[in-house]
Amino acid sequence: MAARPLTDARAARLGLAVAVALVVLQAVVGAAWSLSHDDPTELELTSRCFTREKLLQVEPTVGDAVASSASGGTLTTLVEGNLVTVAVVTHAREAERLRREYLAVGGDVDARLEVRGRYVRLWHRVPSASQRQTADDCEY
Amino acid sequence: MSRRTYAAVVSAVLAAEGVLLTWNAWRFEWLRGYDAFANDLYATVVATDLRLPSAAETGVWHTPPLWFALTGGLRRLAEAVGWEAVQRPGQLLAAAAGLAVCVVTFLLARALWPERRGVHVIALVLTAATPALVRASAMYHPETLAAALTGGGLLVCVRGLRSRPTVATGVGGGALLGLAALTRAWALPVLCAALLVIALDAAGRRRWAPVLALFAVAALLIGPWLLNQQLAHGNALAFNRPTPAVSLVERRPASFYLGPRALDVFDHPVTPRFRNELVPQLYADWWGDWSLTWDTPPPPAPGQLLEEGVVGARVRQDVVGLVPTLLALAGLVSLALLAFSRRSLALGLLPLSAGALGLAYLLFAVRFPSTDGDTIKATYLLAMLPCAAVGAAFVVDTARPQGRAWAAGVGVGLAILVAVQLPFLVL
Repeated sequence: MAARPLTDARAARLGLAVAVALVVLQAVVGAAWSLSHDDPTELELTSRCFTREKLLQVEPTVGDAVASSASGGTLTTLVEGNLVTVAVVTHAREAERLRREYLAVGGDVDARLEVRGRYVRLWHRVPSASQRQTADDCEY
Repeated sequence: MSRRTYAAVVSAVLAAEGVLLTWNAWRFEWLRGYDAFANDLYATVVATDLRLPSAAETGVWHTPPLWFALTGGLRRLAEAVGWEAVQRPGQLLAAAAGLAVCVVTFLLARALWPERRGVHVIALVLTAATPALVRASAMYHPETLAAALTGGGLLVCVRGLRSRPTVATGVGGGALLGLAALTRAWALPVLCAALLVIALDAAGRRRWAPVLALFAVAALLIGPWLLNQQLAHGNALAFNRPTPAVSLVERRPASFYLGPRALDVFDHPVTPRFRNELVPQLYADWWGDWSLTWDTPPPPAPGQLLEEGVVGARVRQDVVGLVPTLLALAGLVSLALLAFSRRSLALGLLPLSAGALGLAYLLFAVRFPSTDGDTIKATYLLAMLPCAAVGAAFVVDTARPQGRAWAAGVGVGLAILVAVQLPFLVL
């Protein structure tokens, strides 16, 4: 039996089949990776930096509803004797919301609050330059 | 499609693209483009001292000099007439070359299927709406000129192969591909593909004059540059960084080839995500703006936030790009199958060129790994665009059911593809 000649339509269909197969293969690799690996979040990277590089004790944040509402999560640590709560946000509007909610608490919050990009930090006391630097070093 | 509608659509698309590329080139801050400062140093040295720059003078000394000579000349002219933005003519040259890429793609489709107007129009629109081309056309960079010249060389060869290659085919193709290689080295694999195909044709006809002409003219144009690089830098294809002292296999991790974070292109397709993963980074850069050089502040420092909407716009681009990418892949495979089946060298030249360029680029990216992902850029593959767009257009026009309603549906689909991208493409 003679082979069917390759028409334009058949070539196009074969081409589409190969292209779909390639794209599906790449998607399968991506999906398999996503299911089997979790890239560390900014909060995990920050926590790792505090514990491994700065040798600090990191704990979950307790009793801070504002920080706990941050979409990127929150942690608490003690930097040179000054307690700091670090919240990670994902966009500028969220950072602004956290800032407003903290300021609504009143008192000297303004002097103890830092908003730097995706990081919102509330210190127990006004931080020193060295304490600030330690926290800055662990931003991702 | 009637002749009048066809002419009107083609004219309108080309006019709109001309306006878009000119507008963008005028608005785009020249220093935001790839290697912009180094490019300007090169252009200044070539135009003022009439010599090639040394490795100490510019980081892009390894790039062939044609675009720099032209831009340097335009730069001097701008200075002479007191135009403050002396780099702007170089950007406008890139824009003009970007438009030429569109014209060449249209003519390539017409050379292969003269009677299929749908293929011509679809290929033209797909090319014009390619973000990698639009972005490169605004930059102070030689990439679009190289792509236009390469496309022109392919067009001459395809036209010759459709009937019978002549000495004029060889001279014209050799001149355009030689000039392309004198603009960017990415034209060299395409030149090799063209030589191979014209040689195969010559072997069949026992007429060697066209292939000899192609080789001689291209060699005459590119030979002195390659010789200079060999003598001055020890390698005709020297690059601005040493190769790592490990085998090719060890230079890139498995993630480079596999692209495990490929699905992130629909989530967060900007630097530093999936950095140095070949397919996702190329895809995100082709359809969006992975390295954040387009209509956005520079990539933020660690811990800082991107501006609102930046990621969303690029995610939308990557979603939109999925279907055209699929069609382009399908098109190249289809053309290769048809070329084999029909022994058509004219059809085969397109997928062969695209494959040769892809292979050369892969070798380059493996040879020169970089921690910041700098050697993975979609614009390096711009010369592949005419082949991919013609292939995609062939698949769309072939696979769609016959009838006016379906033809109109394709038109609507193309209009949506363009409309959705416009906010990203217009600066």
